[in-house]
Amino acid sequence: MKPKIAVLMGGHSLEREISLQSGKRVAAALKRLGYRVAALDVDEHIVTTLKREKADMCFIALHGKFGEDGTIQELLEIMGLPYTGAGVLASMFGMDKALSKEIFKRDGIPTPPFFSLSVGAIKEMGASNVLKDVVADLGLPIVVKPSSQGSALGIKMIETDAELPAAILSALSYDDKVILEKYIKGVEVAVSVLGVERPHALPAVEIVPKKHYFDFEAMYTMGKTDYFVPARIPDETFKQVQHVAVKVFKSLQCKDMGRVDFIIGKDDVPYVLELNTIPGLTETSLLPMAAQEAGMEFDELVEKIVEYGRGSS
Amino acid sequence: MTDSAPSHGFLFDKWLHLYAERVETMRSSEVRDLLAVTARPDIIALAGGSLDIKASNLGKVSDIVADVLTEAGPEALSYGPSEGHLGLRKFLVKFMADEGVDCDVDDIIITQGGQQALELIAKIFINPGDTIVAEAPTYVGALNAFLSYQASIIQVKMDNNGMIMSNMEKTLKDLRDKGIQPKYIYTIPNSQNPGGLSMSLSRRKKLIKLARDYQTLIVEDSAYRRIRFEGEDIPSLKQLDSANVVYIGTFSKILSAGLRVGWVIAPRPIREKLVFAKQAADLCSSSLAQRIVEQFFHETPVNNHINKLITVCRRRRDTMLDALDEFFPKGTTWTKPIGGFFIWVTLPEYIDTTAMLAKAIQQKVAYVPGKAFFADGSGRNCMRLNYSFPKEKDIKEGVRRLAEVIEQEMELYKRLKV
Repeated sequence: MKPKIAVLMGGHSLEREISLQSGKRVAAALKRLGYRVAALDVDEHIVTTLKREKADMCFIALHGKFGEDGTIQELLEIMGLPYTGAGVLASMFGMDKALSKEIFKRDGIPTPPFFSLSVGAIKEMGASNVLKDVVADLGLPIVVKPSSQGSALGIKMIETDAELPAAILSALSYDDKVILEKYIKGVEVAVSVLGVERPHALPAVEIVPKKHYFDFEAMYTMGKTDYFVPARIPDETFKQVQHVAVKVFKSLQCKDMGRVDFIIGKDDVPYVLELNTIPGLTETSLLPMAAQEAGMEFDELVEKIVEYGRGSS
Repeated sequence: MTDSAPSHGFLFDKWLHLYAERVETMRSSEVRDLLAVTARPDIIALAGGSLDIKASNLGKVSDIVADVLTEAGPEALSYGPSEGHLGLRKFLVKFMADEGVDCDVDDIIITQGGQQALELIAKIFINPGDTIVAEAPTYVGALNAFLSYQASIIQVKMDNNGMIMSNMEKTLKDLRDKGIQPKYIYTIPNSQNPGGLSMSLSRRKKLIKLARDYQTLIVEDSAYRRIRFEGEDIPSLKQLDSANVVYIGTFSKILSAGLRVGWVIAPRPIREKLVFAKQAADLCSSSLAQRIVEQFFHETPVNNHINKLITVCRRRRDTMLDALDEFFPKGTTWTKPIGGFFIWVTLPEYIDTTAMLAKAIQQKVAYVPGKAFFADGSGRNCMRLNYSFPKEKDIKEGVRRLAEVIEQEMELYKRLKV
């Protein structure tokens, strides 16, 4: 008999809706594949529910806080339950952009120049006095984003330094730390990576927002964004982003699946923006579409991730 | 990046090349995703927009449904006239006479809530790019209905007496100078959503004159007219100028939003087109729902019923106003609604209420960010609070939590701004 899989979805994060869509879709695929499935909306009873369900492993289809940041992973480690996706450490790296960008720098992976500021530095250490220096160093425009937020929530691009305090205030609504990042104009692509020991990259997807900047609204609303797969970039760049994506995946010690978001600058350098350790798995998500382009249907993708999670591949 | 055609088309939504252009102007936003989190029972929702059904004494609705099915089962479960069930329209003639509007059963079309009336009106009047004039801020559902037909919406500033008519006149004049004919002026003159304020009689008269001078139509959304706590009953625009006003009414705010029953009263040529549009949309409104409404008000005198609702809503409004006075920091302002379900709050310019909602949700309180009530993305530092649905103790606690969040934002901004 095939193992019983608990699909963890929903939860209380701000990406609850997307997670429910991902989770339901994964649960349906697993049922089609013959697994026994418990689809679980994560709440304060999740530990007892998991004990009662006696699942053999968990498929984590949670996005954002507590699902993607190592919290649930830690819990499953304690419970001795195998799960899909990155482990505790890689989840923490992936979720915290300031941390992951520091690692990119260390490992020679290009990432847009940035600074991070914590709410503590602002409240307790007069960090506002360095904002001018930040602007002088990075130049305008600057992208202001919460350090730990899986989606595009709270991201703002500012074009004058007068806008900076309000943009930081907004980003701090989502996290206690913000990233101030040099805005690099270029082509946005996302490269999904699958695997454990020898991860491989899927075809790059190009994201073309119709709005000025790729924000949450555009990310999840039909008609606001066009996607091209494979990305319309030169072959050489295409191979390069795939190569860098795998490097990022390894660098942050990710496993099973991940999605690396890039901006390819005018200088043809693919700058890494972030790694998502639990990419969306909805009907309009980038990972499933890249997999499809590589000839892998959704059910096959889900089965692959499960196999990676069980360590049988 | 090149401009050449994609090698595989638009793969994420493989039907993307098939959709109508108007799909692009249909709105959806992060607000929806953020508010999805607020369905949790531990979150005090000041974000709703409905009547507290439990507080509105609807105990006998189940008997009414049974009676309707026993007495008129086959008719209640069949198609009905597109214009609506005659019995309900007869009731509405009396209901409207109470409001001072003289109309005949033939003048009335029953719609699926007031929202369908907004949609049908948009459908028969708006070509892509057409201009509609509305209040700033205004009802989100109206904006969405108009935008889905690719309207360009100009919103006219309000004060405590409704839209400022000098601004309205300037708007209309500017449009005329540019050769643009606004299709209609949409207004909620009574206990407006989101601010709960009403347009003064003198401004109503001025608006009617302006609409006539500029040969445009007025669409009057009367959703909250009966939920009035104080002040005089000001005549509706329809009463003041029946020939140039399309009137929209609804039972959603006085009986049940779930029944989806509203109505529209329009001059005959417009009415005919609305009927065609309605036939194409849904043939007819629910025969069962219409009979339930008819029977409910057959058994319950309208004014007795509404007075009970007003008592509940007024108490809750007072609770919210008291809590705002008690807890909200200096630098914030809010409307003092004379009716309706909502208070409109304005925070300091630098606070983005959409972002702040994430913090509010952490503190287990939710509101609707102000941006939603504007077509152009303004209102970023505003929010709408609902008092008709939450219980008094939740209103007080919700406002207290919100005040805390706002104070923290103000404090943090002070630190950021050197």
